[in-house]
Amino acid sequence: MRGGNKRPSKKDNPRNMKDVVSLTSLREGEIGVVAHAVGGFGLVRRLAEMGLTPGVKVKVLRRGPFHGPFQIEVRGVALALGRGVASRVFVRPLRMESSG
Amino acid sequence: MAKRRLRIALAGNANVGKSVIFNQLTGLNQIVGNWPGKTVERAEGPLHFKGYKIRVIDLPGIYSLSAFSMEEIVSRDYIAVEKPDVIINVVDASALERNLYFTFQLLELEAPVIIDLNQVDFAAKKGIRIDAEKLSEALGVPIVPTVAITGSGMNEMLSMVIAVISGEKKLKPLKVRYGKEIEKRVETLEKLVSSKLPQLCMVYPARWVAVKLLERDVDVAGKVKNYEKGKEVLDRAEKLAAELEKIHGEPSPVVIASERYALANEIAKEVTIVEAPPRIGLEQKLDAMTTHKILGYPILIMVVASMFVLIFIGGNFVSAGLEFLFENLLLYVEGVLSSFLPEIAVELINKGVLAGVVAGITIALPYIVPFYIILALLEDSGYLPRAAFLMDNLMHKIGLHGKAFIPLMLGYGCNVPACIGCRIMETERERFLAGFVVVLIPCAARTVIILGLVGRFIGLHAALALYAFDLVLVFILGRIAFKVLPGEPVGLIMEMPPYKKPSIRNILMKTWSRTKDFIYIALPIIVFGGVTIEALALSGFMDYIIEVASPLINGWLGLPAVTGIPLIFGILRKELALVLLGNVLLQQGMVLQDLTAIQMIVFSLVTMIYIPCIATIATCAREFRWRKALAIAVIDIALALFLGGLAYRLLSLVT
Repeated sequence: MRGGNKRPSKKDNPRNMKDVVSLTSLREGEIGVVAHAVGGFGLVRRLAEMGLTPGVKVKVLRRGPFHGPFQIEVRGVALALGRGVASRVFVRPLRMESSG
Repeated sequence: MAKRRLRIALAGNANVGKSVIFNQLTGLNQIVGNWPGKTVERAEGPLHFKGYKIRVIDLPGIYSLSAFSMEEIVSRDYIAVEKPDVIINVVDASALERNLYFTFQLLELEAPVIIDLNQVDFAAKKGIRIDAEKLSEALGVPIVPTVAITGSGMNEMLSMVIAVISGEKKLKPLKVRYGKEIEKRVETLEKLVSSKLPQLCMVYPARWVAVKLLERDVDVAGKVKNYEKGKEVLDRAEKLAAELEKIHGEPSPVVIASERYALANEIAKEVTIVEAPPRIGLEQKLDAMTTHKILGYPILIMVVASMFVLIFIGGNFVSAGLEFLFENLLLYVEGVLSSFLPEIAVELINKGVLAGVVAGITIALPYIVPFYIILALLEDSGYLPRAAFLMDNLMHKIGLHGKAFIPLMLGYGCNVPACIGCRIMETERERFLAGFVVVLIPCAARTVIILGLVGRFIGLHAALALYAFDLVLVFILGRIAFKVLPGEPVGLIMEMPPYKKPSIRNILMKTWSRTKDFIYIALPIIVFGGVTIEALALSGFMDYIIEVASPLINGWLGLPAVTGIPLIFGILRKELALVLLGNVLLQQGMVLQDLTAIQMIVFSLVTMIYIPCIATIATCAREFRWRKALAIAVIDIALALFLGGLAYRLLSLVT
């Protein structure tokens, strides 16, 4: 099983808007599965290239100070995303795993 | 017999230890410059190994080979067009999945790749071990595990390079295949590309061109368009990409990136052995503290403050010693020169050339070298991204993001490296915006004036007020420029590499190559400018200029007319302005203390804001082209004069 890394195909198109929230609504330590990103072509492509592709798990490590950036973990790497960027990434939260 | 002259290129993500490997391989003989016509750093160095003469080229650290940045385009064009004999792909063993994403793109370019599996020690600390043999089997290319910081594995890697060159070791690189829907379209387009664009396929692999076109790569599309039958290929590619997007409901580059990542995840899982759960080490604790929402800021202030204290104390000490040495040397040289040269020539050489060089050595270097050392320390340890993280929100107010804090901080040391540092911003707009505010940051030289005049004779509070005013000014001007310049601001997407123990060797190497770069840029300009201004003074032209400028200097700014001289000379080197101010006042039978408090403040304010110095302008021109550099200079001069006059009037009202 490749779990959250299934190749996207017609059947499990991740753009199913149910339960999908912005990454910014996750608390520190919570995990979500990326559904999609919205924004300009360049931004969406860049996020995918940095590993934020549909189906991947992201964990919020830190919510930055003063409405600031987010620090997340994706594919074993820590990334900082500006608040504006983070708000354009939509995830399906995995509340159960938030303690792990 | 294989050829004895080789070219190898280092390629890989940022923060994987690529520059450390480059330094290990080439030592001090590296040449750092730019790629022709681009403001992308190009580092190259020679290496001799087993009778081979090898040129090592360090490609920029990038995460992908798309057309996202100039760095990515430069890298892929170099690989495809110049076809180096071997590409060493440096891969971070502790973040294999993300790194493989880049490796696949090298394989798609059909480049001869060897993988340097670096930081295996660090991965082990995280409880991760990579089965190198299995990975090598999966990718079909040789893999050499290394710990670059200690130099371990370097010899094995070079031996592998030779083995590949001599044909002793065969490469059977993995062909990156996509899911059915994509693969079908890639193959269709590949056939079309190879039949319609044979010339382009001499340089770039047809399959790669097909994949890039499906990814809607603007740069590749531009290349294709130049061919007669390009239009036909582009139309077809557009149709196929649109089909993909319809099936998946995502932009085609996201679809293709997802596939690459799925494959990377698959392979990474197969070859990764998780030996122990990661321990909460010192690095994590440091990370938590330095990015903490409250604690992070006092730490940031402490780091920056101690950096400047160290630079000023260390710099003052060394500077004073060197000055003493050179003063005597200059007197001696002057004596020798006057024995056979006419007086005017001696003056020109001494005051124009030698004084400039000596000022550079005694004033600039003692501050710049420790500055570079501390900078390299902050870089290699991984602190800078944390600072950028903390400052992201504030930077957004002036249309930039957290990364811009790094060049701004450099600006306090010297504006020249700070301007070059603006390259870390992603787009041309962001680079220029950052450059525009960076030159307003008072560098060490301007600090010398502020502290030496206002701080010394009025008090520290006045000097600090000037600094605070400057920060407000930076903020306001940044905000105006952000609103005026066309284009959209870019958000922050930045890797936060784990903290690492920096290597002293690497820090010294970095310091050396940067210092060398600074000398190459600054010294010729200092000498040229010095001779010009000295010639103006000797020919009597300077007096004329002062007379013309007198209404401005005396009437508008309220300064003695002779202060025009230090203000003009300040274009060369700002700290020289203070020395000169003392000199010209002395000629009038005055000392520095005879200036009123308002005059001191106005003088410092004007020097703080008007064009940084000629070396900075030249650097700006290199980075942003002449037109923009001159625009910056004109704006800064106008602003300095305006604010100086305003301050003179307002302060006169108050006191």
